[in-house]
Order: sequence, then structure tokens, then C-alpha cells
Amino acid sequence: MLRILHDTKYDFIKHWKTAAIGTIAFIVLGFILLGVHAARHNGEALNESVEFTGGTVVQLTFQNPPSADAVRGAVDQAGFAGSEVTTFGDSRNYLVKVQTLQGPGASNADSVGAHIAQLLRQRVPGNAVTVARAESVGSSVGSELKTRAITAILISFAVTLIYLAFRFEWRFGVAAIIASAHDILTTLAFLAMMRLEISLTVVAAILTVIGYSLNDTIIIFDRVRENLKKQRKESLYEVLNRSINETLPRSVLTHATVFAATLALLIFAGEVIRPFSWVMAFGVFTGTFSSIYVAGAILLWIEHKWPRAAATENKGTARALAEGRRREQPAASVGSR
Amino acid sequence: MPLKWRILTIIGLCLVSVFFLFPRNVTQRLRGSNGVLHDTTVRHVPLRRGLDLEGGTYLALEVDDSKQQIPADKKKDAIDRALKTVRTRMDGYGVSESVVQKQGDDRIVVQIPGEKDPERARSLVEQQAFLQFNITDKSGALERALPKLDQVVKQRGLAAATGADTSNKTGAQNKALQGLLTSGDTSKKVALGKTGKDSAKKDSAAAADSLKLQAGGAFSSLIQQGGMPGEFYVATTDVPTLDKFLADSAVRAALPPGKDMVPGTDSSSLQNKWYKAYYLVDHNPIITGDYLSNARPNQSPTDGTIVEFSLSNEGGRRFRNETGKHIGDYMAIILDGRVMGRPPVIQGAIGTRGQITMGGKGLSDAQDLALVLNAGALPVQLRVAETHSIGPSLGEDSINKGLRATLISVALVVVIMLVYYRFSGLLAVGGLALYVLYTLAALAGFDAVLTLPGIAGFVLSIGMAVDANVLIFERIREELDRGKTVRTAIDEGFRHAMPAIVDSNVSTILTAAVLYQYGTGPVKGFAVTLIAGIFASLVTSIFVVRTFYLLWLNRSRGAQTLSI
Repeated sequence: MLRILHDTKYDFIKHWKTAAIGTIAFIVLGFILLGVHAARHNGEALNESVEFTGGTVVQLTFQNPPSADAVRGAVDQAGFAGSEVTTFGDSRNYLVKVQTLQGPGASNADSVGAHIAQLLRQRVPGNAVTVARAESVGSSVGSELKTRAITAILISFAVTLIYLAFRFEWRFGVAAIIASAHDILTTLAFLAMMRLEISLTVVAAILTVIGYSLNDTIIIFDRVRENLKKQRKESLYEVLNRSINETLPRSVLTHATVFAATLALLIFAGEVIRPFSWVMAFGVFTGTFSSIYVAGAILLWIEHKWPRAAATENKGTARALAEGRRREQPAASVGSR
Repeated sequence: MPLKWRILTIIGLCLVSVFFLFPRNVTQRLRGSNGVLHDTTVRHVPLRRGLDLEGGTYLALEVDDSKQQIPADKKKDAIDRALKTVRTRMDGYGVSESVVQKQGDDRIVVQIPGEKDPERARSLVEQQAFLQFNITDKSGALERALPKLDQVVKQRGLAAATGADTSNKTGAQNKALQGLLTSGDTSKKVALGKTGKDSAKKDSAAAADSLKLQAGGAFSSLIQQGGMPGEFYVATTDVPTLDKFLADSAVRAALPPGKDMVPGTDSSSLQNKWYKAYYLVDHNPIITGDYLSNARPNQSPTDGTIVEFSLSNEGGRRFRNETGKHIGDYMAIILDGRVMGRPPVIQGAIGTRGQITMGGKGLSDAQDLALVLNAGALPVQLRVAETHSIGPSLGEDSINKGLRATLISVALVVVIMLVYYRFSGLLAVGGLALYVLYTLAALAGFDAVLTLPGIAGFVLSIGMAVDANVLIFERIREELDRGKTVRTAIDEGFRHAMPAIVDSNVSTILTAAVLYQYGTGPVKGFAVTLIAGIFASLVTSIFVVRTFYLLWLNRSRGAQTLSI
């Protein structure tokens, strides 16, 4: 039987301070970067796709890599000076983001694309160019989609909280929700650091990350619930540590398979889905982290503030925390048996 | 449940899945290269591909209220009626599996897979197609009204405003360029005077206006008599100015009573200058497109491309009546506020048949016009609020890449499971194979649309699907560690892992349901695959893998060790 991290007794919770400082530093750094982006890009802190800002985006595919100047020149000549022109994935694909939109309707993305492509055919003859994709979103639709995305996140929060409160005690629900909020913040910081484009698909990825992280939190909390029922003379601190250790092999294996799938997406699934893949890849880490150090730590803190009737009979959480600091790091047991 | 029933259930599920996924014949109406619709039968696996995979055009239409305010309840009603019209038009357009549906209360979504000419599709759904026949003016009413129009334009400050826009710019430029060297030229002074509310400068503004009036007035200077009564030529450079004048309510009120000024579609060249024709027509049409019963495109040796139409019996009667009264007059055929071609002279009473000349346009335009006329006019002007068009090559590329990512992730997961859990891992991999089959079948069965994010969701769900297996296997290991027999350990392992599996999956389903409710297009596809994936993973990990274990226990009774 091949076993990794079997029967471990790591004191995970002991390091909660270091973990908290680390994650807060990460989030703060991300939000400082958001501020920098906002200053650089006319107040647009996040790199939002046209779905949210309104506007037109055209993807041009060339037979051979063209010079960036030729593409930019054609875009300027077509009357869209000031548009964002970037390569997309490889140097044969260019993305042109046009902000010509006036009023609530969408501009005609197809004619914009056709016009630029036609000018490019004159500028770089012999290099076949096609409009691979042309999308246009009216500003009214854009702001509506934005509202919907935010509503979706909030509602999924509320729904999960209700479900957790129903299945577990309220304190578990609150801890899980705070862990989810933490995941959103770290993901935003990650998006700022990578300057990834936020589209509806990325919002879907963020929600999936939340779901995945919750999943992980629930697995640990389920163990906590079970271990608490066994009425051992253990503090919540010890129960939490024991539960994390007991579920550790499962965590490692599941994260490994999900991460393998995400890696396959990131490397092989192409440019269109790449921001989604990045968010998911990051999500595996932040989800694992938050289940232990956010959900677990918050649960302990709530327990400390509002002790359960049963828990008061056991050792208080404050004492447990102090006790944890004194405890030795147990030996790791890795290997096959 | 007895083992026999378990096996039968699994086989039954597999059969149902294969049935759902079995390639079937689909009849498509396609437009051939000659433009004629014909039915073709294609055989394919009934998994619908989204536009981002298939390539095609997505259009979201909403009521255009930029010209007039429309109350919300009227909008809703208009959208309902427009939906029918747009649907009829798309049916006639002849693309396979195009989708026309309402989104919310105020939007129509049109999806046309495989569309190669998105602009044509756009004009087809956006065109209001309001057809009317109006008699053009023969009495020279506009010429008589010109002084009044010039005066109104002046009063409303329309000419001044346009003039000031440009002169202000030059004024600013002058200032920037010349600075204090010059005291400013006269044109700048006049321009400032026009916009300035300063009374001291009023006289110079008046002087400038009177100059213009002497030169023919702001309005009358733009137009000149055309080749027939009621026809006027406007230089193409002046068209925006004239349109701006005509958009003003006071100017419209100053037009001869009961008359409208409508632009034409044709431009003509006179002495190296391009002109656009405008027509003064009766405000009330003699008949509208409501009475149209049939329209079809045709080629005529004299008029080029035309659309022939026939009217209903009642329409024909009215038309005969009206045209009988107007013999010798010109009749403008107005489509969506534009006069189509040059108004023909009415030779005698016309019955139920007529034709619209398409000018220089080709047969496909005539086809489209016939199509929209047949489908009827939209109750309101619609505008495109959102459009996405994906080229077929990009879609194909996405499919290939998505497929590759799926295969690789499956391979990785299989390797991890086999290496770590050995024989039990093999059972899990068997469950995973059924999981893929069930998920695809569920997608086909619910007629879900597979999108690129959907494929990504599927890849992710493969990674997550084994989570339930992992939870169960770890539990079994724990029970074995406690010295339980293999059979008991398996039973207990499944039982104890259940709450965690259920809770974690339900929370994911809830998130996916919210995504489905609030997502659009690709994101909806993602949510659907995620939900289908979770259900399939629950079935396979809890039921199928358990059955595999029971089968194994039956075959090797009294097994002392379990490879896990």
C-alpha cells in the first residue's frame, strides 16, 4: 500500500500567525498593484474585457507573423487610433480592442474587423489575414453583465451560507464564508499581479474556485464535526489539527488530480481559455490554504469569542492556543507500508 | 440492493447513455451556392456545439429608444411581437439550427451557427422593414416654403451652431499658432459673435446671417431642384447638415403641411460632384406593407434586380383605388424611411402586383429584402446591443485544443489513481470511464450546448470526480488500519465517506446553479457541464465503484487483503 503523509501529527494551526501575515501581505500587494494599474490605465484597476466595459474586440489571424507597426498602422488608418493592439498567444494572432462606442448600442464589430483586415491586406500583401473573431458589446449591456456577475457571486455566497448553516452549525458557515471571501481577495490580487483579462469566463472560474475551496473546507469541517461527536477530551484546537491531519492524504491526492487537470488546461487548451486556467491553477493553492488557515483559524476564533456550551466543559480555546505554541513539531511519516 | 440489480442498473444506464449519444440523422435546410434552399441530411453525434466551438454569429437585439421614449410595458409587448418576426425571417434565411429566443423581458437573442457573413445576418434581423407607398409632391410646395424654412433654421440657431463648431476650432487653433502676433481674423470674430451670448456682439452675428440669407439661406442653399417634381439633390457633403436640420422639430413643422422630406437610397454624380436625392412626399401613405401577401426576388432585363410583390385582395382593392386617383403622379416606395430607387410615374390604376427596383444591388440583397417583406415589419426599430462572431477556424482550433487537454488530463488522473491505489485505483478508473460516458449522455439528453468553458469545466470535473473515490478509499484504508475485515472495511468506508461527499458536492451544485441562472452563453455551458459532471461523478463513485467492489468480493470470497 503506497501511502503519503499517513498518520501525521503536524500542528498546522500553530503557524496561523505566519500564514495570516503571508496572505495579508499578498492581498495588500495585489491591491497596491490594482492602484498602480488604475493610475496607469485611466482608472481601470482591473483589466476588464469588453463584456463588462462595452466596446469592440477583433482578433486577426495572419498566415505569417506581421510587424506590430503594420497592424497598428492599419488600425490607425481605419480610424481607430488609440485602440489597444496586442498579440494574442503567438505572433500570428493580434487582438484589437476598439473603444469607439457612443451611446447604448453596440458598434458593428464585423464591419470594424472587415475594414481593418482590408487595410492590412493592402499594407502587408501576400500575408493572408482573417478575422477570427469579432465581438461588440454595448455599454448598457456591459454594465448589466457586470451587475449580474457581482450578483451571481453574492447570491452564491448567500446560498452556500444557508446550506452550511442548515447542515452544520452557524459558526462553521461563517468560517467557510470568510474563507471564500479570502479566496476572492487573493484571486483578485493574483489577477492584478498577472494583469489577466477579466471576462465572464474568468468570473465563472472565480466562482468555481470558491466552490472548490468550500468543498475542501467542508471535507475538513465534516471531520471536525465527526471528531467532536466522539466526545474525546480534546480542545477544538486539537480536534481541528487532528481533522486536518486525518484528511491530509485525501487533500494531497485530490489537489494533485485537480491540479494535473488544470495544468493540462493551462498548457494545452489554448489562449482563449488561458485566463480561466490561470485562475483555476491559482485556486487550487488558495483553496487549500484557506481551508486550513482561514476557515480553521476563524472557527477557532469564533469558538474563543462565543464558546459552545459543550466546549466550555473542555479546555478553553485560549488555553488551547497557548498550549499549541508550546507543543513540539511531530515527526513526519512519509513512505509506503 | 442485490448485486444482480446493481449490475442491471449500471448496464441499463450505459444503454441509455449510448442511446442518447448514438449518431443520428439531422435534416438541415441549407442555402446552396445558387442561393436556393434545399434539405440535406447529416449524421452526427447529438451533442450541440456552442458558437465559440462551431463558429458563427450571436446577436442580442433590444428596442431602439434613442429616437423616442418607449415605456417598459410597451417594450415588452413590442419584443414579443418582434420575436415572431425575427424568427420567421431566420427560418427563411436558411441556416441550420439557428436559435431565436427571448432573453429577459427586453432582449432577443439570435444565434446563427456557421454563419460566414455576419453583416448580412445583422442587417437581416435589424431591418425594421416598414414598407409604405407615398405620392410625391408635384405642386412645388417646398420651393414656396423655403423662405420660411431658412428663417426657422436661423431662429433655431442651427446653422450658427454648426458654423460655430468649426470656426471655434479654427479660432482656437489660430490662437495657439499665432498667439499674440495677430489680433485675430474677421472670421474668428464672427464665429465668436455667433456663439457668444454677449449682446454687444449680436449685430456682427446678425450681419453674418444676413450674408448667408443673401446667398440663398442656410436651408435653401443646400438643396437644388432634381430631375422630377418633388425631387431635390443635395451634395453628399451637405447631407449631414440637412439631416440635422430635418431632425429639428421646428424645421419639420415648417415643412409644407402634410408633407415629409425623405432621403433616397441612390446617389448620382453631376459635374464631378456627388449628390443624394431627397423627396418631398405626402405624409400619409396610400398603402403600407401590411397588405403585402408575397414578395420574391427576380431579375428584369430593363430594371436589373427587382423584388416583385403582390398584395392581398383587400390591399389590392385599396391600391387600385388610390393609384386610380393619382394617375400621372409619382409614387415613392419607402422602406424604413428611405425612398427605394426613383419613384416611378403611375401610368394607370395598379392592382395587386408591383415591383421594387433594387438599383445597383445584387440578387442576394433582393432575396433578403423579399425575405424581410414576407416576414413582415418589426413593430419597433431594434438595435444590436451585443454581437459576437467567431470564425470557423478559431472554433475548430478550440475544439482540438480542448480535446487534447481533456485526453491529457484523463491520462494524468488515471496514472495518479493507478499508482496510488493499485487495484482499487483500477476500479476507480473503470468508474471514471463510465463517468465520461454518463456526463456526455446527460449533456446530449438535456440538449445542452457544449462550449469552450464547458470543455474546461468537464476537464476540471474529471479531476474533481475522483475526489469522491479518494475520500472513500482513504476511509477504507482507515477502517483496514483498525483491523476490520476487507468486507466490513469497504462497507464502513463507503458509509462514513458519504456525509462529506454529499455536503461538498451539494455546495458545488448550488454554485453551478447560480452560474446557470446568471450566466450567459459560454458560462451557461460551463455551469451545465459542471452540474452534469457532479451528478455523474456521484453515481459512479458511490454506486458503480461500490458494485465493482461487491463483484470482486463475490469472486474472491474470504479475501484477506485488499489492494488499495
